[in-house]
Amino acid sequence: MSADVRDILDMERANTPEVTRDSFLATKKRNFERTKTASRRPEGMHREVFALLYTDKKDAPPLLPTDTALGIGSGYKETKARLGMKKVRKWEWAPFSNPARNDSAVFHHWKRVTDNSTDYPFAKFNKQLEVPSYTMTEYNAHLRNNINNWSKVQTDHLFDLARRFDLRFIVMADRWNRQQHGAKTVEELKERYYEVVALLAKAKNQTSEKKVFVYDAEHERRRKEQLEKLFKRTTQQVEEENMLINEMKKIEARKKERERKTQDLQKLISQADQQNEHASNTPSTRKYEKKLHKKKVHQQPRPSRVDSVVNAIEIGSSGIKFADLRGSGVSLRSQKMKLPANIGQRKVKALEQAIQEFKVDPAPPPTEDICTSFNELRSDMVLLCELRTALSTCVYEMESLKHQYEAACPGKTLNIPPSLVPIKTEALDNSTN
Amino acid sequence: MTDFGGDSGGRLKGVTIVKPIVYGNIARSFGKKREEDGHTHQWKVYLKPYFNEDMSIYVKKVHFKLHESYANPNRIVVKPPYEITETGWGEFEVIIKIYFNDQSERPVTCYHILKLFQSPVVDGELTSSTTMDTKKGLVSESYEEIVFQEPTQILQHYLLLSEQSANGLLTHDTDFEEKKTKTLDNIVNVKQKVKAEIVTLKDKLKLARETISKFKAELAKVQKQPA
Repeated sequence: MSADVRDILDMERANTPEVTRDSFLATKKRNFERTKTASRRPEGMHREVFALLYTDKKDAPPLLPTDTALGIGSGYKETKARLGMKKVRKWEWAPFSNPARNDSAVFHHWKRVTDNSTDYPFAKFNKQLEVPSYTMTEYNAHLRNNINNWSKVQTDHLFDLARRFDLRFIVMADRWNRQQHGAKTVEELKERYYEVVALLAKAKNQTSEKKVFVYDAEHERRRKEQLEKLFKRTTQQVEEENMLINEMKKIEARKKERERKTQDLQKLISQADQQNEHASNTPSTRKYEKKLHKKKVHQQPRPSRVDSVVNAIEIGSSGIKFADLRGSGVSLRSQKMKLPANIGQRKVKALEQAIQEFKVDPAPPPTEDICTSFNELRSDMVLLCELRTALSTCVYEMESLKHQYEAACPGKTLNIPPSLVPIKTEALDNSTN
Repeated sequence: MTDFGGDSGGRLKGVTIVKPIVYGNIARSFGKKREEDGHTHQWKVYLKPYFNEDMSIYVKKVHFKLHESYANPNRIVVKPPYEITETGWGEFEVIIKIYFNDQSERPVTCYHILKLFQSPVVDGELTSSTTMDTKKGLVSESYEEIVFQEPTQILQHYLLLSEQSANGLLTHDTDFEEKKTKTLDNIVNVKQKVKAEIVTLKDKLKLARETISKFKAELAKVQKQPA
């Protein structure tokens, strides 16, 4: 601390060596290495726990997180900024000349005493543009005829301005002598200038050396006109435009929403088609069956479980309802023959057996006709299988009734109609398969 | 809500275009097991139009997915002929995915079981979708139809172009026309048989149910008497 005060007051300063960048970095590095060896984390201790015990200076851990990393002796706890303890270097008020100027004016600026370089460093930023020039003959040969009727005087004036203002066309247009040469816009100036440059380059065969700029004056005029219009819009017009944009967004959103809904609807319709079949049958039949059931409970001691199956078959709810491939898009025809996912494993098994039994190609070439009739066929086959099982259940029930009867009154028997008997064995065979 | 009428994403209402295709494989045995990798067959899996037309007009690419044991099993073919030739020792399912020259259409997928070996003939010709040709080798191919329902205008344009490029029939190893008629005849035939059996079964079922109720009545009578 006192050292600093003495230093500021320029009193007898301790003869410390000048801190250079290298020596500063070197000390820092040493510090870092020392801390690293001094407190090595014991194996197995969590880093977080260790950090609570030891920081590099073994002082208490900070209560608040600091911006700087903990370990490397930096951060707000640093007692003193380690700015270089250098001796002050001298500055002097010195004259200089700017090579970018040609009037050899002399100015003064502050510079280091040690800094011996004499040239003015900012002179290099004074870029000189090369504006081509032309002779009278060149003008007459190439430049005299032009669409916009520029005279030699006007062209000369333009090139004079171009040189003076380094092609800053806005300034050039401003300084353009309107009294003598008539009013010209920035675009007109640019158009003529680049036209002349291009023609000269062509005449002098310089095309390969330098890039020739092509100036599209018409485009530029239209662009400015556009910007002008945009700038001059009234508040109402701006509001209207915003409103229209919002409306369009809304319409797009609605369109998407509607497309989504129609898709959902299509799905629902095809689902409903399948369920309708069920719905139109089941609720009414269920009620009907329930009524029947109640009656049967009264009338008959043992209601037949065959009835429900038979009912379903008679109404025609069995069979397969194939998915109706509506809607747009690409699909394979064979998809039409895919069994719907909602039919049970038992039906699928039975169907496979029937297809084998009747020797039908399980994957026929899918033309439209074949698809349709193959689907109808399989629907019929499912019905056939259900009828077979129903019949075998019936036969089984007849048998058991017959046995009951025989047990109830020995010596007497009931006669099963002969047409049903041979089926029995076949049906049983089928069910054992 | 504003009504947009006929607007449905530029699709052509009520238009359906069908493109028949054939996919499958031919395989030829080496006659012995190859020393270095144990492969026994050379095979070629392919997708081709049924009629001789330029599929590349409407097909962007065809993606053949081979068994994962092959080096880079995802093979993509961008122009005809859409085919992959390989060697191997086993049969597996090849997934053939067809992409169309229209961003809005999803690709369609065919599944083909790569056939190397003649399957044992069961019940005559029905299950054998393979034909053995001494020259070419074993052929197993399937007929399929790509159905374009309400295609977009651009796709319809491609499809018509492709149709115009059609140049007669392509000869296939399997006679699909014959197979189609035969199959359809068989199905119609079997359908009649099944329908007939359904009718008789319904009659029998009716009789059975009558008999059951008769039996039940008899049984009730017998069971009442002792009580």
